[in-house]
Amino acid sequence: MTNFSSANSGRLAGRTAIVTGAGQGVGEGIARRLAAEGANVVIAARRAVTGEPVAESIQSLGGSAICVETDITNRESVAACVAATVQRFGGLHIMVHNAFRGGLPHKLEEADLDRHWKHMSQTGVWAVLHTGQAAWPHLRDAGRHGRFIIVTSPSGVEGSANIPLYSPVKAAERAIAKSLAREWGPSGVTVNCVAPVAASPALLNAFERSPALQAALEARTPLGRVGDPEADIGSVALFFASDDSAYVTGQTVVCDGGSFLGL
Amino acid sequence: MVSIAVTIQGAGALADALRAADVHSDCATTVVVPTIGCQAKPFTDLTDADFDAAWEQPMREAIVAFQGAHKAGHTRLIAIVPTIAMSGAPQLAHVAATAEAIRVMVKSAARQWGADGITVNCIAVAPEMFGIDTAAVGAVSIAPPALATKGTVVDDLVPLIRLASSVDAHHLTGATLTADGGIWMAP
Repeated sequence: MTNFSSANSGRLAGRTAIVTGAGQGVGEGIARRLAAEGANVVIAARRAVTGEPVAESIQSLGGSAICVETDITNRESVAACVAATVQRFGGLHIMVHNAFRGGLPHKLEEADLDRHWKHMSQTGVWAVLHTGQAAWPHLRDAGRHGRFIIVTSPSGVEGSANIPLYSPVKAAERAIAKSLAREWGPSGVTVNCVAPVAASPALLNAFERSPALQAALEARTPLGRVGDPEADIGSVALFFASDDSAYVTGQTVVCDGGSFLGL
Repeated sequence: MVSIAVTIQGAGALADALRAADVHSDCATTVVVPTIGCQAKPFTDLTDADFDAAWEQPMREAIVAFQGAHKAGHTRLIAIVPTIAMSGAPQLAHVAATAEAIRVMVKSAARQWGADGITVNCIAVAPEMFGIDTAAVGAVSIAPPALATKGTVVDDLVPLIRLASSVDAHHLTGATLTADGGIWMAP
């Protein structure tokens, strides 16, 4: 866990970020990294029982964080989260959409739209619509500090043999990021994607069920390991959130230890 | 050599033009022409109804069309999308999302169905072929078409469908053939 008192330069001091799905995994890692750099962080979690401990932990380390229970599939719930954020911290500079539900392995020819598609579409693409729209007035006000960061996946670039309908959802998020980069660029707001392979609870559970999966994944990864949500993925999100990336927009950084080398 | 009429799945002017072209192949082939909206609208003005029409319903139709091709035993599946899938476009985020999703679903299908001898590819055409007026929403590329034309269905798209649907293309899968006259040249 990042030490708040040293090694950090307060690059986000005075700024406020919402991170969806920050009750665990990659979202938690990003939230902790942004908080360590001085951001006020809103842990937007579906259940307070997962989000509150993260917020309290950040507070205990000297950071600024609150938890706002948020259903990202519900437009009104997302708007309420943004309103609560602005009321508490006076503005919103950074929206990170990370939350996601779904990803059951399936055969494409047998996929059921309700079982294998609906949740991914709702928590992925629809939630980008909801979070982006709710955040926009505040990101615009933040001007050149305004950031919309979407957590997508390498599968959204290269497809997936195991979860074929996961890939189009993640690809759509990247296309929206590119389009919004063009649309929102004149206001100084940047829109970028992070595509991680990280030690999320879901992946760790999969490793526990199948140690061979972990061995195979690490073997095909030049860096030989799965990313750490905070140190590896959170740091890339921090780059996109900070002024260091002010001239970078519409891009996807694949953080997977070098597995995908498509460009 | 056998000559099988290519099945065209989809509605709209482009799908109609492909049906009229009466394309044949030596492999059983489905061409999916997704419902790609062309109504430009700022992202912040999109309603849930807009998004349902531009994203949710076309994606569900495309998934069912892919499944139908598999069920029919076709060994060639080709999806047609506009190049804004890769480039993005201002005021067309909802449209680009669907186009890119289908382009990457092609890769998933190619990976999963390759062992069954099925190839799945994508042809990316100029947005204008889907009725999208890119000039109206601002530049989406850095250059005009290198070939000075954005292409026609019969002369430029149909030959690529013949290529990707042929026996000769047995080792081509998961690919995107960009056929916009040389606008989008990213890898």
